Amino acid sequence: MNGDTAYNLGVSVTNGSSVHPSRSDAARAEYADLVRKAAVGDEAAMERLLMRAQEVAYRFSLLVCGHPEDAEDVMQDALLNTYRHVSQIKDPEAFRTWLYQTVRNACLMKRRRRVDEPATLTSIEQGGVDGDGDPMAVDVPDAGVRPADQQLIDSWVGERLRRALAKLSPGYRVIVVLREMEGLSTREVATITGFSEANVKQRLHRARMMLKESLEDL
Amino acid sequence: MTETGSPDCAAVLGGISAYLDGELETTECEVIERHCASCASCAAVVASLQETIGLCRGAALSELPSGVRQKAQASVAQLLRKERD
Repeated sequence: MNGDTAYNLGVSVTNGSSVHPSRSDAARAEYADLVRKAAVGDEAAMERLLMRAQEVAYRFSLLVCGHPEDAEDVMQDALLNTYRHVSQIKDPEAFRTWLYQTVRNACLMKRRRRVDEPATLTSIEQGGVDGDGDPMAVDVPDAGVRPADQQLIDSWVGERLRRALAKLSPGYRVIVVLREMEGLSTREVATITGFSEANVKQRLHRARMMLKESLEDL
Repeated sequence: MTETGSPDCAAVLGGISAYLDGELETTECEVIERHCASCASCAAVVASLQETIGLCRGAALSELPSGVRQKAQASVAQLLRKERD
């Protein structure tokens, strides 16, 4: 692998691409450390873990699903599931992936339970493969984000990026948010979404190009 | 100057993400860098994509709004208290 030498074309990437894998490893290790401590009764570690779980749930509800009205319920699910899961977990290193999967599923289930849900929404259980032969990840429909929530997202990512992200379909947006913003590895994103690693990379590339074009138009 | 749309450009544009993610071998990086040195169009795409990625990775996602944070903290406290009793 080329590593650091790949960035000599001019513009530097904030938080550089070359440090991205270690950023992901560090975050995973931090979660695993909290899980180990919480599992043996460290209440402060449990509190931090439960807060982290709710933060992930809140961000995912807003940034990926675009349904802030679901955030409170999804946070509650993340809270309770994390608390129950910690005492049973065999591999603390896998916790972070489990958390994002749990949050993603909670968002999808929440949508399905709504009476006004579009009939075309694909259920989590439905399988199928895409054009590349990979398992299809489940998309959730977009919804209008309220102005107050727009302001919050703007404070996180800026107005331009928020508007560009909104133009991506959820199937692409989830890849960008998990990989670029939440700092998960390609392998973790593949596990969470059900795509192959090759498909995650391909989708990330397409999503980046679409974002780039949207940002240039804004 | 390389013409945009030539096979070189298509190959470069298809490999930009792998290049920016540090997933290419040194020789493959050199091919891209040599191409961009003579193709302003591809060099501009690479720069713009780097900027896009930088914008995404620079997002400050850590802070919850204070009202949401207070509710989350109250939920944690309530759960832990309930489990202790």
